[in-house]
Amino acid sequence: MYEIISPRVGIPGAIFEPRPGVNVEALLSGGFIKQSTKGTVKSAKNKTEPDTEPESTED
Amino acid sequence: MPTSTYLPSPIVVVNSIDLSDQCTAANLTLNYESQENSSFASPNRSYVAGMGNHELTLTLYMSYAASETYATLKALVGTQTTVRVKPVTGNESATNPDFVLTGCYLEALPVMNASLGELSTIDITFTGGAYTEDVTV
Repeated sequence: MYEIISPRVGIPGAIFEPRPGVNVEALLSGGFIKQSTKGTVKSAKNKTEPDTEPESTED
Repeated sequence: MPTSTYLPSPIVVVNSIDLSDQCTAANLTLNYESQENSSFASPNRSYVAGMGNHELTLTLYMSYAASETYATLKALVGTQTTVRVKPVTGNESATNPDFVLTGCYLEALPVMNASLGELSTIDITFTGGAYTEDVTV
């Protein structure tokens, strides 16, 4: 996923979705767009409870 | 007097970069190589369309500033890209079609064209690629 830098490409900060045939490498090297970190979803952290055996209530 | 005319103010987009404000001429020509299919059965030569070999020629003011003409084109020479031109700004429609060449080739880029007392301009030509006409937003 890419983010627009230059207003010649679009609204700066917006996500850039290249059309078919667009030379993305040229856009990156020219500083028109950059790799985006937007939209990356962090994986949910699962709380891991230590395995505890139920305490016996029997006397 | 014509009922409708067109005073050119096209939108010119090269590799997703809008270069309209640097462009003074844009000429897109559709070419289909002719293949002869004449035979003894006809007294006249006849032809059918062969391969498409379309061509877009642009005249651009040269600028070496960031995000301008040179920065746009320097990484495209010798590669394929997508170019689009449409008659006027605004959404694509049947009366404002977006002419698209996908996968066209930029063979040459003049990196210096300087004359005393004149603004520098360059002419570039994109050839080949698949032609489509986009009339939907």
